[in-house]
Amino acid sequence: MGIDFTAGADFNKKLFQMGIWTIGFAVVANFIPVIYMWLAYGVIPPLSEIFRIWGMVGAVYGVSWIIQPIAFFGVLGMSGSYIGWLAGSVADIRLPAASMAQKVAKVESGTHEGDVMATIGAASSVLVSAFFVSLFTVIGVQVIPYFPKFIVSSFAYILPSLFAAMYLEIARRDIRAGLGGIVVGLLLTIIGLKLKAPGWMMTVIIVASGVVVNRVLYVHDKKKVKA
Amino acid sequence: MELQDIINSPGLWVASSIMVIAVLAQGVIFLRAGLKEAKKIGMERERYMGGLRSAVITAIGPSLSPVIVLLALIAVIGAPTTWMRLNDVGAARTELAVISICSTMVGAEPGTASFGLKAFNYSLWGMALNNVGWLIVVLFTTHNMNKIVEKLYVKYDPKWIRLLMGGTIIGLVAFLLCGQITAPMLKGQYPKLVAALISGGSMLFITRALSKHQRLQELALGISMVAGMLLTQAIFG
Repeated sequence: MGIDFTAGADFNKKLFQMGIWTIGFAVVANFIPVIYMWLAYGVIPPLSEIFRIWGMVGAVYGVSWIIQPIAFFGVLGMSGSYIGWLAGSVADIRLPAASMAQKVAKVESGTHEGDVMATIGAASSVLVSAFFVSLFTVIGVQVIPYFPKFIVSSFAYILPSLFAAMYLEIARRDIRAGLGGIVVGLLLTIIGLKLKAPGWMMTVIIVASGVVVNRVLYVHDKKKVKA
Repeated sequence: MELQDIINSPGLWVASSIMVIAVLAQGVIFLRAGLKEAKKIGMERERYMGGLRSAVITAIGPSLSPVIVLLALIAVIGAPTTWMRLNDVGAARTELAVISICSTMVGAEPGTASFGLKAFNYSLWGMALNNVGWLIVVLFTTHNMNKIVEKLYVKYDPKWIRLLMGGTIIGLVAFLLCGQITAPMLKGQYPKLVAALISGGSMLFITRALSKHQRLQELALGISMVAGMLLTQAIFG
């Protein structure tokens, strides 16, 4: 196993360097559209507003920024983490592709051979998904102008339909939290509308309420186990 | 200049392509490194090429599923931004959630006439600032992640960490959903509520009653969305 370990260490060092360079480049690329909008059209929010936007998305996704890469590291490994978090769709595309690559090549995850196959699987899945997203974008641009009026009008219902389907998908994993979350959410939005509370404040309050609902259930369950 | 012309301008296509290039370049670099290493450690060609082939086939199904959200995104934020953001960090639904949040900040609603240049620009900033959160964490932690994972799980109960993360997402989607349905409902307008009920019901039906059809599960979200949109349109005209 000693030889295997050194081979793995070399490979890991290479992955690390490639990961740092590609992710670093992506961090820059990530801001190019907003810089373009500023230079070409002169639109940029005031600095205080940029911080407010940052605070909003941070309040909602900040915990996920930190926890998700940690939680998935065990299954993704180093290369999978670099690839998965840049290209996205970790749970539904990168992971299945990486584990199928390992399965078909008959290697164990956690070994050096397993890491190599996970790298091959995750990386090739990126090329596949990028191809389809690009293809659909091109087709979509061509097709959307020819949609009949019935379909175009139905776009008014995109968001409630999407959010309801998303909510069901999440809530069915934990029915109590799902029911609690929506009841508290409905009550808070009605109160918020009556009091004319600003939208950003409502976001923060309701996201926090989801955490509180889960905390209450967690403490409740713990007590039950003890009792 | 019309909003549609700006959000689909050639300049924005170029600005958005840099990220797609980053994603593709990373895929190619890592794939080459992986294949080279497989050869170096003496794996048989059939084994690693078989693995590669199966990864490619596995990726096709779930790559098709965001197509409906993709069309919706193109209608709201234009093709170049959709193309960039669906190729990078975060799923399509995350992007729509961020767009929805940022639009509320300027009093606009995505997909309606109120969604103007300012709402679009705030959404662009929102998506960029959201994505950079994951990238920075990955950039600074991945190489010594083993130690971090160990520390975190010793200090906190893993079950609570999962619930904390689940709680923020449940709270967020509850907020987005309620934001869509409550205000019109209080005014006695029910189409959006009906759309939510149909879509939610369809999701429940597909994931519960049809749970054995694996391929269908990947498309559940898209099918439910279309059902909610089209049936509501058919009912209310």
